[in-house]
Amino acid sequence: MSFGVAAQAQDKGLIAIITPSHDNPFFKAEAVGAETRAKELGYETLVLVHDDDPNKQSEMFDTAIARGAKAIILDNAGADATVAPVQRAKDTGIPSFLIDREIKESGIAVSQIVSNNYQGAQLGAEKFVELMGEEGNYVELLGREADTNAGIRSAGYHDIIDQYPDMTMVAQQSANWSQTEAYEKMESILQANPDIKGVISGNDTMAMGAWAALEAAGRTDVILVGFDGSNDVRDSIKAGGIKATVLQPAYRQAQLAVEQADQYLETGSTGQPEKQLMDCVLIDEANADKLETFALSE
Amino acid sequence: MRDVFRLSALCLAVAVAMAGCKIVPDPDPGEAASAASGQTDEARMETYAQEIWQPKVLPVIQENLVPLAELRSALAADTDAAGQQHGLRPEGEANPWNFAVSGEGRIVEAKLDSRAAKLGVDTTGDGAADVSVQLGPVIRGTALRDAMPFIVFTDFRDQIEFAKLANALNATAHAAIDRPEGDVIGQTARFEGVFTLRDPAKIELVPTMLEVGG
Repeated sequence: MSFGVAAQAQDKGLIAIITPSHDNPFFKAEAVGAETRAKELGYETLVLVHDDDPNKQSEMFDTAIARGAKAIILDNAGADATVAPVQRAKDTGIPSFLIDREIKESGIAVSQIVSNNYQGAQLGAEKFVELMGEEGNYVELLGREADTNAGIRSAGYHDIIDQYPDMTMVAQQSANWSQTEAYEKMESILQANPDIKGVISGNDTMAMGAWAALEAAGRTDVILVGFDGSNDVRDSIKAGGIKATVLQPAYRQAQLAVEQADQYLETGSTGQPEKQLMDCVLIDEANADKLETFALSE
Repeated sequence: MRDVFRLSALCLAVAVAMAGCKIVPDPDPGEAASAASGQTDEARMETYAQEIWQPKVLPVIQENLVPLAELRSALAADTDAAGQQHGLRPEGEANPWNFAVSGEGRIVEAKLDSRAAKLGVDTTGDGAADVSVQLGPVIRGTALRDAMPFIVFTDFRDQIEFAKLANALNATAHAAIDRPEGDVIGQTARFEGVFTLRDPAKIELVPTMLEVGG
């Protein structure tokens, strides 16, 4: 009986799950969330990693198409560069469901479910300003420029912080979402600006890199706020290191994309508009305990 | 007895379902996109916000306006039901409700020398501010944008453009409000506006009408 059901369930076909590198636990959580839900719903899965390389991503779309995937779940490798492969999949009858990052066209993917990065960045910035006592020199670490999320988070930060005339940004540099790059950038920024009081980072991996550099320089007095809600930053918050981050519901977002793919394949519609925003939640010492793998328990 | 209960439950369900139906203006996806290209997001969204303000935004607010006291008791009874009946929100999972409200109260706090100026208004009579009327020029949040059924994220290029629209609508609201001057503590404030429901005890209102005096 149970075997029969399982065998029948597997007939639903293949879902391809394509994300950036799992080195960043955020993308790993997405892939695991999507894969788990897809299997629960009776699909086979093909999990691929594009390493933020549009050429690699394009090859993976070809693989998914060649394997006859029923749907593609994608966290993409660039807002412009991703339009063509998503269109190619659509032309061969394979719908794409995007998570985390948008592309610059609508009407090609079936769903684009993204975190409300602007709302989240404003939450992070409000906390940052409060921790800074509304004054002092600070540094901003930016994400990868080709990613819309880097720009929107920076805009959200500044729409809050720039209201406070005594907050002064002394350096703003991209560390491309990378922990090692953030470590190096933070080291050199510290040398040029030893008088900084705070750092606001576009994501948690860069925050972890920056924190390591601050620790190495004996500057654990610096106020640091990140974005993502990773377990690493959670542990740092609980240990009194990094002060706060902003949780993106990555795990749920990936599951939701699979659910919408399933509904679309079964009924021809997701019942939702293509582009959907999911609100973010501020994480600090008050609720860090409840955070696990990009999800907050009630 | 049981049948009566069933009948009233059915009536309630029908009433809620009907109240959930709103007549909304036709969406106009082409409008945002058709604006002149070559302008910055900010400039394009400012133009768009001004175009829709009188003919579309203000009518949605008037149509959905609920007295704050009435909304409060509805929220206390059942948040979701109050949202279905009075609220506005974009489709999608876990989006917070936005409400268009009217109300009045005594001004008990005023921060007028800030870029994010605001009035703290006591609308319940307990002496504490329960509504924060945002006077700007910097107005927080995206309540105005997210309360508009005809504004759909899919019609915009990306979150950046969409955020600029929220700011432009806030700026338009700010420009339409007469900012009170001098010592306003103790005076009465009458307001209409929109807020996003996060904590019912701390409403951050984007005013679309404000009268201070008396």
